[in-house]
Amino acid sequence: MEIHRLFANRLFTPALFVALCLVSTATNPYLQYLLNLILVYVVVAVGQMIVLGFAGQFAFANAAFMGIGAYTVALLGSHFGISYWVSLPAAGVLCAVVGCIVGLPALRLRRVYLGLMTMGFAELCYWLFLHWRDVTLGTDGVKVAAPTFFGIRLDTDDAAFFVIVIVTFAMVLLAKAILASRYGRAFIAIRENELVARCNGINVPLYKTLAFTLSGFYAGIGGGLFALAVRFVAPDTFNLLQVVLHFAIVMVGGVGTLSGALLGALFLTMLPEVLRGTQAAQEMMYGVLLIGVIVFMPKGVAGYLIERRILPPEVLVHGWREEVREGDGTPRADAKPSTAELQKGR
Amino acid sequence: MEPLLETQDLTVRFGGVVAVEDVSLTVPPGEIRGIIGPNGAGKSTLFNALSGVVKAEGRINFDGRDIADVPVHQRAGLGLRRTFQHVRLMQNRTALENVLVGMHLEIPANPLKSVLNLGGGVSPDRVARDRAREVMSFLGIDGLILRETGTLTIAQQRLLELARALAPGPKLLMLDEPCAGLSVPAVQTLDEILLRLKEEWKLTILLVEHVVSLVIDVSDSITVLDKGRVIAEGAGDEVMSNPAVKQAYLGTEEVDAA
Repeated sequence: MEIHRLFANRLFTPALFVALCLVSTATNPYLQYLLNLILVYVVVAVGQMIVLGFAGQFAFANAAFMGIGAYTVALLGSHFGISYWVSLPAAGVLCAVVGCIVGLPALRLRRVYLGLMTMGFAELCYWLFLHWRDVTLGTDGVKVAAPTFFGIRLDTDDAAFFVIVIVTFAMVLLAKAILASRYGRAFIAIRENELVARCNGINVPLYKTLAFTLSGFYAGIGGGLFALAVRFVAPDTFNLLQVVLHFAIVMVGGVGTLSGALLGALFLTMLPEVLRGTQAAQEMMYGVLLIGVIVFMPKGVAGYLIERRILPPEVLVHGWREEVREGDGTPRADAKPSTAELQKGR
Repeated sequence: MEPLLETQDLTVRFGGVVAVEDVSLTVPPGEIRGIIGPNGAGKSTLFNALSGVVKAEGRINFDGRDIADVPVHQRAGLGLRRTFQHVRLMQNRTALENVLVGMHLEIPANPLKSVLNLGGGVSPDRVARDRAREVMSFLGIDGLILRETGTLTIAQQRLLELARALAPGPKLLMLDEPCAGLSVPAVQTLDEILLRLKEEWKLTILLVEHVVSLVIDVSDSITVLDKGRVIAEGAGDEVMSNPAVKQAYLGTEEVDAA
C-alpha cells in the first residue's frame, strides 16, 4: 500500500478531524495548548503560503496582519463587548482590506524591494501596538474575553480547541478549493513568469492584489484564533521574529504546496517545544535544524515527501485525479490513429 | 474579405534604436503567414508589439477593432495567442496545469462557480480538462497529461506550449520559432500539425521561423523583414527569388561577384 494513497483518500480529512477531536479529549492542558497553537499557525501559514509560496510575492507583512487580527478580536471584545463570533470574521475582513492596500505597492515593487517595504509595514504595526497606548494598552497587553456559545463560556483550552479546529479545517478546505481553481493557477503562473501569465489572459495586477487580500484574510482569521488560543495579546508577539517565523514556515514546509503550509506550521510550532529539554542549546539547535532542512530538503518537507511518494502530488486542477485512471504518463488506448501517425515522426 | 489582422506603420523604438519600422501587414482570416528575416530583423519585436508586450506606435486592427491601446491580457481574451522563442512553461507543474493556464479566461471568473462549483452542473475545471485533453490528443501528447513539464523532451515541451495557446480556441496564433531545438522528424510532425490547423481549424497563423523549408511548405504567403522593415512580401518562391531577400540573407551582390 502506497502511503500517498492514504492521504489522497476522500475519508482522510474527516478521519483526521475526528482523530484530532478524540486526541483533544486525552490531552493535558499543556498539550492541548500546543495543539491549539499548531492549528492556529496552520491558518496563518496558509495565508503566508498563498502570497509567498504561490503568487511568489515577497510579502512579509503577514505578522502584522496576524497582530491586527488578534488586536481586533481582543479590543472589540474588551472595549465594546462585541461577541467573538462577530469580531473573528471582522478581523478577517479588516485584514483582507489592509492586505489589499499593502499589496498595491507590489504592482510596482518586486523581490527584495517589496520584501523591505512589507517588512517596514510589519515594523510600523509593531510600533503602533507598542506605543498607541490609548488603544492597545502598550506593553500591558490586552486580555481576551472568553467567547460564549449558547450560554457556555469557552474559557478553557479544551473549549477553545473546538472553535479553532472547526475554523482551521474550514479555512484549509477553502484554500484547497481556491488554489486548485483558475485562481491558484493564476497565482502560480504569475510566480513563474508574469509575461506568460499576461499573454494567457491573466490580469496580473488584479491577481497580485487578490493574493495579498486573501493572504491578509487568512492572517487576520489566524490572528483572531491566536487571540482565542493564548487569551492575551501583547505587542512583542508580533515583532520581527514573527515575520521570520512565517517566512521559515513557508520555506521549511515547501514553497508552493498547501501540505507545506500544514507541515511547516506543525514543524516550527513543535520544534521549540521538543527542544525545550536541551535548555541553553535550544535556540542553537533550532537554527541548526532549520538549516539542515533547507540544505537536505531544498523543496521543503512537503516537497521531499511528495518526491518520495509519501505525500500525494498537488495538482492545481479540480478533480485531476479522474485523469489518473487514463494511465499515468502512458498514451490513452483510444487515441485516434491520426495522432499515432503524428507521433511516428518523433 | 475583411482582414483578421491589419497593422499600419507599426513602429517600435528602444531608445534610439528602431527595432520595427513602419510595418504594415494585412493578414486575411485562415491564412498562414510566414515571417522570415535574418537575426535582429525585428521578428520577435513585431510579435511583442502585436501581443502588446512592448509599446508600439501605429495602428493595429484585430478582428475589426483597434487594439493598439488594449492591454496584453485583454488582447489574449480577444483571441490573440502566442508561443515563445524560448519555451516558457511552468517546469515544476504538470502538463495539464500548463494547458489550463492558457484556458484561464474560458473558466468562469465567478468564484462561487469556479472555486466552489455552486449551482450544480459539470465543474468548470472538468470542462477545461476535457478541452485540454482534446487539444493535447490532437497534438499527440495526451499521454503526457499528468507528467511534470520539466521531465519532457524539448519537442514535447514545444507541443505543450502550442497546446496552451490552442486550448482557448484562438483567432490568431503567433508562433515564435516553434522549430528551435527540434530534430528533423519533430519538425516534420510540426509541419503536419500546422497544415491540419489550417485545414481543420481554419486557424490564422503568424509563423516566425528560421527553418525556411517549413515556412515555404505551410505558408500561404511570406513577409520578409530586414532591419525592422518589410523588404518583400508574397508567395514563397516569388519571395525567395527576390534579389533584396537574397542580399539580406546571403550578403551583397558584390561579395558574390568577387
